Amino acid sequence: MKIIIAGAGEVGFHLAKLLSYESQDITLIDTNKESLAYADTHLDIRVVRGDATSISVLKDSKIASTDLIIAVTSSETTNITVCVLAKQLGAKRTVARISNTEFIEKKEEVGFTKFGIDELISPESLAANEIALLLSQSAFNDTYEFENGALTMIGLNLSRTAIFVGKTVKEVGDLYPDLNYVPLAIQRFGTQYTLIPRGDTQFKEGDQVYFTTTEKGVEEIFKLTGKVREEIKNVMILGGSKIGYKTARDLCKHSFRVKLIESDKDKAFEIADDIPSCLVINGDGRNVDLLQEESINEMDAFIAVTGNSETNIMSCLVAKSKGVKKTIALVENMDYFQLSQSIGIDTLINKKLLAANNIFRYVRKGEVVAMTKLNNMNAELLEFIVTNSSKVCDKKIKDIDLPRSAIIGGVVRDNEGLIALGDFKIKNGDRIVICCLPQSIGKVEKLFV
Amino acid sequence: MRSFARLNLKIIFHLLGLLLAVNAGFMFLSALVSFLYKDGVVLQLFYAGIVTLAIGGTAMLVTRNHRKEIQKREGYLIVTFGWICMSLAGTLPYLFSGAIPGFTNAFFETMSGYTTTGASILSDIESIPKGVLFWRSITHWIGGMGIIVLAIAILPLLGIGGMQLFSAEAPGPGGDKLHPRITDTAKRLWVIYVAYTLIETLLLKLAGMSFFDAINHSLSTLSTGGFSTKNASVAYWNNQPIIQYIIIVFMFLAGTNFVLSYFAFKTKFSKILKDDEFKWYCFFILSFTVIATLLIYFKADISASTINHPMIWGRFESALRHGMFQVLTIITTTGFVSADYTLWTPFLVVFFFGLMFLGGSAGSTAGGVKIVRHLLMIKNGILEFKRTLHPNAILPVRYNNKAVEQPIVYNILGFFILYMLSFIMGVLVFSWLGLDFRTALGGAASTLGNVGPALGDLGPVNNYGALPGAAKWWASFLMLIGRLELFTVLILLTPFFWRNR
Repeated sequence: MKIIIAGAGEVGFHLAKLLSYESQDITLIDTNKESLAYADTHLDIRVVRGDATSISVLKDSKIASTDLIIAVTSSETTNITVCVLAKQLGAKRTVARISNTEFIEKKEEVGFTKFGIDELISPESLAANEIALLLSQSAFNDTYEFENGALTMIGLNLSRTAIFVGKTVKEVGDLYPDLNYVPLAIQRFGTQYTLIPRGDTQFKEGDQVYFTTTEKGVEEIFKLTGKVREEIKNVMILGGSKIGYKTARDLCKHSFRVKLIESDKDKAFEIADDIPSCLVINGDGRNVDLLQEESINEMDAFIAVTGNSETNIMSCLVAKSKGVKKTIALVENMDYFQLSQSIGIDTLINKKLLAANNIFRYVRKGEVVAMTKLNNMNAELLEFIVTNSSKVCDKKIKDIDLPRSAIIGGVVRDNEGLIALGDFKIKNGDRIVICCLPQSIGKVEKLFV
Repeated sequence: MRSFARLNLKIIFHLLGLLLAVNAGFMFLSALVSFLYKDGVVLQLFYAGIVTLAIGGTAMLVTRNHRKEIQKREGYLIVTFGWICMSLAGTLPYLFSGAIPGFTNAFFETMSGYTTTGASILSDIESIPKGVLFWRSITHWIGGMGIIVLAIAILPLLGIGGMQLFSAEAPGPGGDKLHPRITDTAKRLWVIYVAYTLIETLLLKLAGMSFFDAINHSLSTLSTGGFSTKNASVAYWNNQPIIQYIIIVFMFLAGTNFVLSYFAFKTKFSKILKDDEFKWYCFFILSFTVIATLLIYFKADISASTINHPMIWGRFESALRHGMFQVLTIITTTGFVSADYTLWTPFLVVFFFGLMFLGGSAGSTAGGVKIVRHLLMIKNGILEFKRTLHPNAILPVRYNNKAVEQPIVYNILGFFILYMLSFIMGVLVFSWLGLDFRTALGGAASTLGNVGPALGDLGPVNNYGALPGAAKWWASFLMLIGRLELFTVLILLTPFFWRNR
């Protein structure tokens, strides 16, 4: 597949990286020499220097034979222009990154597809959605739902109290024969190395573990891991940026008690105007006295989404020290992102990574129904629909030649989530959730598509 | 004086001349009425018209080469002096016809007319020639028209008393913009105003009033004035409940924002139901009516007064009708009389005194503080509790689901403080001039709120004729500042208005 990415910023670069693993034909366009040079040396892609809205630059990038153009520069208007131009010049599909969430809400009304933009991606609204989802599953630090919750992927940190600790996957399975969950991936504490668990893999304290589970299994995992489902009611949001605003609006709609701290007075007034049920505080979030005055110790969750990563991380640490159960920090810097749990914050989110993952998912649409990257792990979660032409159709799982670096997380059949073991026979129409390391994606795809 | 010269005096005089010319037109109309009813004052009214037209026409002719620029300061001057000039010219029909001989009395009566107060110095209204009575009612009606333009277009531009918030021309998204141009807006609302007047006239005629009484009462209902053609005011029709119910309905409409009436004609009813002020206006009227009705029924002796109260539809209906009528006449600051509330229980006397401070809706012809201001002040007061708990929180007052900017709230608070100060000053001066406590208190509240009937010697069955001359001038002043939302007039008394720009 031939793909053009306009904009070599963090989203563009990350996207190029994800796609280049699959040896796609990728062209990256940007005006910035340095970021292009960096991408050129680190990734197996073609780079073109120039303005992506320039027709000659687009033609240079062989736009007419392009399957997909992804415009992810920091400027919304540039992205829209690039997509419109590219569509007219022959690109088959277009994706534009935007910042005005109104465009997504009114997508049908305006008819963006009519003038050439197939998909709109807003990193801000993705981040807000992610935060809302994380709050609803507060004991976990990462979640993803397949088929409206028939199967859920959850990620959590194993604490010392968890029954799992010190046991192998097989032992745990023997303890509870009526299995409603499957461990998908494990990241050992303090390492960056992702394991796909086999029967003899041992769980250790501090492991970041990902499971797929049916609806029933969520409660079971709660018990087994020693986590308690915590009722989240009082939420404090730091920063009235687009993400903060959208999160506050969504949470208020679901009757959370939300306090939002914003340092800009006019902005604070506008938010107070738009969201009557949200208590907007005008002040600097780095001021601990202010946080205390607004009773931070009574908060169930603290979400820091200012434009400054360091402020977000530090204020989350302050919140943690005041006894806030759940802290979420927005970070721009990918390097910080790698540190994640080791600094003591429950979840770090990066809107650019979210955007890149979301676009990546879109790219694979058609073959792969849904796809997500495990937060901060080097593994992908894929969802396939089995058709009669698939190699695995009408086969038992134990007979499939699945690579060692891949694991079947579960099957959705007739809108019901099932945990599939060796004797499970795959049928036409099943939706299969698979977790695999990047190197085996191609192989897995060949099996299932 | 340098800055004085910079004022665009020419346009001020031009517009004042225009107002007088319009006034003259209505005087000719009164002369026509006089001619039709053959009351013998045709020529006098005609001369009054001629004199007014001559003055107005001369002013317009002399200043016809004016710059068409009106700044805020010219605006204040035009509004205040417009009302004063009209009141001065409006005395001519009374003086020429001899209906009201003294200038002080004539000025009081016209000022009461143009400010739609409805306080009268006349004791025997029925003996006045019909042409003059018509002129008396028409002053109300002109005043009401002026108030609509003032409330919808001019006060918001001048930014007075937070009116910019409630006006049809309020800037910003979601504002109930009727039409971008002020003149068009005013014309649309005038059409509604005229239509209401005609409909009420017709209904009153059908209900059994004479045509002359019907038109006069419509003119003073829609302007929330209160001049009647009968000595007993609307109590004259106490044996015809239908007439009183018709007047109740139109008092209610006149006290409602005319922009809402416009929406009603456009069948945008959802906008009306969403309006906070209208909701509270209805709520206040309903709840106060219930209180008044129950107290009248169980406690008060309605027949104690000199006013005749035939209870042709039963005692409860009478209590309900008179309760509702008094509540509406005070809240909308109309000032018609169907019963003497000063003879009811002490509680009801204080109750109606309190209602004089409520006022109708903004954008109506009613006077007083206006419901929307009370609403915002109460909401702001309650928010102060929350603000002490969260000193850094942004807690805006909300009106119609929109946050209100703090300067507007301050403006309203300032308005209320000035209103109370004016009231206290009013009471003090009245008592200085020899009025007793009750009369002074009621007189100040009633004239400042443009209500009409007050307490004590100025109660519903009495009139202002017995006041000393100085008190009549003071009352006229209070009526003027109350009508023009205080700031417009009082700003002219501040030194910095006249100093550098």
